[in-house]
Amino acid sequence: MILYTIKRLIQGVITVWFIATATFFAMHGVPGDPLMTDKAMSEEVRKNLDAHYGFDQPKWKQYGIYIGHMVQGDFGISFAQENRRVNDILWEHFPVSAFLGILAITFAGLGGILFGALTARYRNRMPDIVIMFLVILGISVPSFVFAALGQLALVKLNAFFGTSILPVAGWGTLSHMIAPSLVLGLGTMAFLTRLMRSSMLEIVSSDYVRTARSKGLPTTRIFLRHELRNAILPVVTVLGPSIAAITTGGFVVELVFAIPGLGRYFVQAVQQLDYTVIMGTTVFYGAFLVFMVIVVDLLYGLIDPRVRLE
Amino acid sequence: MNAALSFRPIVAERDVEVISRPSLSYWRDAWIRLKANRRALVSLYIVIALGLFTVVGPWLPFVPNHSAQDLDQISSPPGADRTATIVEPYVPWSGVTVNAPGGQAPLEAPASVSLAGEATTQAVRIFWDPVRGAHGYRIYRNIAHPAPDDALGMPLADVLVPSRVSFEDRLDIKPQEYFYSVVPLDRNGREAPVYATLDVSAIRVITAEEAVKRGLAGSTADLAIGDQVELKLHVLGTDYLGRDMLARLMHGARVSLFIGIVAPFLFILVGILYGSAAGFVGGRVDQVLMRFADFVVALPFLLFMILFRILFKIEGGDSGIAPMLIAMVILSWPAAARLVRGQILQIREEGYISASRLLGAKTPYLVLRHMIPNTMGVILVTITFAVPSAIFTEAFLSFIGMGVAPPTPSWGSMCNEGIKTMLTYPHELIFPALFISITVLAFNLLGDGLRDALDARMRSQE
Amino acid sequence: MTAVIDQVTSALLEVRDLEVEFDTYGGTVRAVRGVSFEVHAGKTLAIVGESGCGKSVTVQSIMGLIPSPPGRIVGGTAKLRGKEIVDGVTADGEIVRGSRIGMIFQDPMTSLNPTMTIGDQIAETLQVHRGFSHSQALRLAVELLEMTRINEPSRRARQYPFEFSGGMLQRSMIAMAIACRPSILIADEPTTALDVTIQSQILDLLRDLQQENNMAIVLITHDLGVVARMADEVAVMYAGEFLETGTADDIFYNSAHPYTVGLRAAMPTNRDESEQDLMPIDGSPPDLFAPPPGCAYFARCPHAMEACRNDPPPGFAVGSGHMTRCWLHHADCSRRIEDLHYAAAAPLEGRDA
Repeated sequence: MILYTIKRLIQGVITVWFIATATFFAMHGVPGDPLMTDKAMSEEVRKNLDAHYGFDQPKWKQYGIYIGHMVQGDFGISFAQENRRVNDILWEHFPVSAFLGILAITFAGLGGILFGALTARYRNRMPDIVIMFLVILGISVPSFVFAALGQLALVKLNAFFGTSILPVAGWGTLSHMIAPSLVLGLGTMAFLTRLMRSSMLEIVSSDYVRTARSKGLPTTRIFLRHELRNAILPVVTVLGPSIAAITTGGFVVELVFAIPGLGRYFVQAVQQLDYTVIMGTTVFYGAFLVFMVIVVDLLYGLIDPRVRLE
Repeated sequence: MNAALSFRPIVAERDVEVISRPSLSYWRDAWIRLKANRRALVSLYIVIALGLFTVVGPWLPFVPNHSAQDLDQISSPPGADRTATIVEPYVPWSGVTVNAPGGQAPLEAPASVSLAGEATTQAVRIFWDPVRGAHGYRIYRNIAHPAPDDALGMPLADVLVPSRVSFEDRLDIKPQEYFYSVVPLDRNGREAPVYATLDVSAIRVITAEEAVKRGLAGSTADLAIGDQVELKLHVLGTDYLGRDMLARLMHGARVSLFIGIVAPFLFILVGILYGSAAGFVGGRVDQVLMRFADFVVALPFLLFMILFRILFKIEGGDSGIAPMLIAMVILSWPAAARLVRGQILQIREEGYISASRLLGAKTPYLVLRHMIPNTMGVILVTITFAVPSAIFTEAFLSFIGMGVAPPTPSWGSMCNEGIKTMLTYPHELIFPALFISITVLAFNLLGDGLRDALDARMRSQE
Repeated sequence: MTAVIDQVTSALLEVRDLEVEFDTYGGTVRAVRGVSFEVHAGKTLAIVGESGCGKSVTVQSIMGLIPSPPGRIVGGTAKLRGKEIVDGVTADGEIVRGSRIGMIFQDPMTSLNPTMTIGDQIAETLQVHRGFSHSQALRLAVELLEMTRINEPSRRARQYPFEFSGGMLQRSMIAMAIACRPSILIADEPTTALDVTIQSQILDLLRDLQQENNMAIVLITHDLGVVARMADEVAVMYAGEFLETGTADDIFYNSAHPYTVGLRAAMPTNRDESEQDLMPIDGSPPDLFAPPPGCAYFARCPHAMEACRNDPPPGFAVGSGHMTRCWLHHADCSRRIEDLHYAAAAPLEGRDA
């Protein structure tokens, strides 16, 4: 397990290096290198950038400087905002996004497992039909529509009760977080519900559940110790990709709900063509996702003895 | 027991085995199974209908040009009243002036606010009783009643002459209810905490000349003042620029479906070439190729889509469709490559391949007769599932303004425009959102059906 | 109808006229059509038949293990020591499945929970039925593993199924099934998924455990070799019915039904002089959506007669405790059982050799 962890971490570092390199060459590689020729920047910023990135030097040297900075965890200086370091921006906005994301994935994971188990248990009966209808809806409706509808619903809800039950936008208190994280987790929850349902159905008719029943165990014990635990395994394996989906879904939700997260900042940076922020955020998010996948895989190992003991 | 039992032996007449069903080809069998799946079949019809909607739709007689603006009907929801009354051309209004009554604070609300003439989309003219001691008035307009929380709406103008107690509103008036509030201002131009409100329903009017120009009537001679004319029909209403929603949805479908269908085909084609190369050559080359594919998979997809979009530098007039396609192909092929390689490695080991080889089959024959037909099912299912995710990607990027460039419509960019007026004109968001959802739903269900029909091993448990 | 077996004595488990149906998309499948049998302490009853004939469904329905829906018991009773059991539970609420009736299955590789240790899975039964604490139950689980001849049982108890071989998994299954000292062990094709040497070890183990505990075994198999080795009594099942029941000797040396004869002819032997080819039984079992009106074996029987087409044969007693459902044994039928044995040895006229 330890060896496995080390191996995965080394792989992760190489992958992040590849992401950083791809980002660098994507930004520099095309004709009319935006980092070299953008005119919309002040003289002072230009000078800072030259000093920091060595723009007056050949490409391969620039690459060396760039990777060097990355290794030190330095993502550079903002193009659009004078003297603001990308690290400061990340440091300020990422925790907000991360918090929102954690809430959303928790909600999606628990909801998916719960509803998936429920639908499998009441297969082809009312709860199953209703939930699966909602799930199909959840999979087919884009996240920004959920965000918009969620906000619309909040406006109507608040208008109906005449007071502000949940704030429509903004960030800061727990009540600000509920609606956006629900909206953000919805699509993933629908996906996980579907996965959990089919996994659960497969396991309910598996040989070892039949064995458990032949042992005369009570239904709840069979459900908890034999069915649920095994049915969760495939759900855990897709948590990694789900985190990626929730991260990017966060862009839109943060935009619509006016949450000061990194996603919204990134979209703004893109619109302002703040190249260094875009590059820094891309590499940062890439690294974050790579390591989240590793974390999820290691977590999986803890649950599944077949992986843990290999 | 039956008394008349006969114990005479029977030998010949029993045919033991009869093959009662004709043997079916793989694809025929799959088609029969797909047809039995009602959800998948309905989805297939929806997909076909969407295709017709996109291709044939714009030629239908009631569908106007998608970029033509109908300035008489801006943000009009479907089924809205389309009648307009013919009026005289606009004549300026001199307004109402009184002797401003002097006096001291506190300022009171105007005793009443009244309408001068008729409230039309041409102009709304209001006047009010002068307020003792007021140095001016500020006029607000709202689409909802100000009560209970004194939401007066948008400030239209300040009237800073105490003797003038009228205001003419010509600002983008729609045929709907408005609430005009008048707030008296004190000597320093500060608002008094009081106001009076007038509830006004504007009616849609049009001059005879305009009506002829828009093709609503033959000539001005046919029209008398007070006549009613019908404005142009917009089946699903119009957007915030007065463009026909249905026409834009049809054109948007071209973009969304084009990207949604062409992108998966392209990247799966690349994936097939790459994956089968890796699968066939095997060994070191295979390892290197697949390791590279792993790296590309690890790139954060949407971030790189945005990165590419920035790099392609969409100039004015570009739609941004081609860059999006290229970016999608660059980032999406590895999953397909991995799948195809896995399939090929698996099929290569199957007994029937060995059997075929034993019978003297050459590699091209094996590929054509066994490999391709046996991977087709999986590939078809993959494409079907890739379509909704490509449509989602396009919609997402267009929504955050990183997709196709305006004025090219796509469902995503229409959502982006619609969300700004979501509270007042929800139809501008709901229609494109509905189309995205239905399309994605149809392709998802069709994919489920295809998977069930094509491969019993992949049967879903539903 | 005559009684199946003329013993009204000390039967442990007594099943009468069991009928099971399954609702499927194609219609209702009558999987078990009126099956009766008794199980006696210390004895082995083998139920033998082709796959799909309803052997497993018979025992699983008694245990309440058939998935319902689509499956349901539509008739018959099962009594454990005179007390009726439904779905593995007696009328007064005692859960007999797992405690008084243990069960092992065909494929040990998939019959154990992959994410639970072997020890825990055995201990679980004891915790539930005997109210043992976890540590107490685990200690007993180790003893049980030792009893089923697994080396280093205490280490093995802490391992997971994927660390075991097929034979060891089946031993663990047996340990699990006998944990509560059941009076009956149902073994549903216990050796089918194992290779031959392991098969033999498992059968020996079952034998020994049976003798030590005076346990009854219901052995379900399609392998006549296993039957010959293990069974005291045999029921030959075909298309949801018992065509012949009797002692192992009755079935093997005095077969009274053409199907039994056919099965024997299809079984390889190690007798030197038998140079004859193995004789397959042509055709396949009837469609249980619409069972034939007469004898179920009619379509494949080399001795079929006109009576067999539309009249279901009753059970004929052909010896003490030996029953068969075949019109050949009717008093008016001129053909005799001896012809039948002869026919099995030589190909029938008019058929291609």
